[in-house]
Amino acid sequence: MHNGIASASSDGQVSSAPQALLGLCAGLLPVWGRHLATSRAQSELAVTEMLQAFSDIGPHINMAERQSQQINDALAQPIGGVTGLVGACEQVLAPVLADANVSTTTAAAIEHVLEMVRHAVGVLEQVARPFQHETQMVAAQVDRMYMGFQYQDRISQMMALLEGDMVKLQEALSAGEAPDLAAWLVQLEAQYAMREQHEDHSGLAENVCASDGDNETTFF
Amino acid sequence: MAKTILVIDDSASLRQVVKMALTGAGYSVLEAGDGQAALALLDGRQINMAICDVNMPIMNGIEFVKAAKQLAAYKFLPILMLTTESQEEKKEQGKAAGAKDWMVKPFSPTQLVSAVSKLCA
Repeated sequence: MHNGIASASSDGQVSSAPQALLGLCAGLLPVWGRHLATSRAQSELAVTEMLQAFSDIGPHINMAERQSQQINDALAQPIGGVTGLVGACEQVLAPVLADANVSTTTAAAIEHVLEMVRHAVGVLEQVARPFQHETQMVAAQVDRMYMGFQYQDRISQMMALLEGDMVKLQEALSAGEAPDLAAWLVQLEAQYAMREQHEDHSGLAENVCASDGDNETTFF
Repeated sequence: MAKTILVIDDSASLRQVVKMALTGAGYSVLEAGDGQAALALLDGRQINMAICDVNMPIMNGIEFVKAAKQLAAYKFLPILMLTTESQEEKKEQGKAAGAKDWMVKPFSPTQLVSAVSKLCA
């Protein structure tokens, strides 16, 4: 590192440029390190605050979700029962309606009654539909909130690793060492836990983007 | 009586997220910030399952699983590893140590509760 900088210079400031750069790095690294540490602390605090709020309202959301599910279940039972009843009535009445001896007035009356019951079932189903939708929607959004909270942990881990590496570089500069870049990178990569860290390290990722969550489970 | 799950993670916010997901599903939760603190918490307690991070200070998750499996009372304790680590090599270490499941964060609470109910059954 030190030698590389010196050999690249060709004017009279060959000896002072590396020293100035070393001084610059030594001065900047602790400042960057403090900014990173503060950013990490603030991101942790932000999540802690949100979690505190969520822990207060969470039980109410869970209760609303459960009640919505209960209403859903309570509605599903009579709807299923009435639908079955309509089907049974239709089956029983089908031969009556097909009977040529049954008067047109009687057949029309039967059809009219069946139609009223079918309509009532339709109304019940319409009442139930929003509850089904609400139950699914609340459950999905609660899941998303829980998942969102977890990104702070990833951010924190990534920042902590950078902070540590900056301190290590600062110490190397203070000691006047010129560590081997390849070995340094190997040591850095060995500390990665997340897939995107490896991708960022190698520069393989086409775009810088947040992980959408591996969301994988392996049972042994 | 509610089943008790021991949640081990050095991130307090992660522990809280797991706790909220589990208590919402009717489980009781105990918390520890690292493997050593978790071992101290076991102490003969009735624990139905443990959910453990991998990268933690003092005692990491793999070391905890190995240590817990050495204790007669917890030899068959189901342990789910909940971690940002998704590398196969690490998973193999978890499996070899005695973990029953490996779940990568961020997790879906529905998925976690489903895995917990399966392992606690």
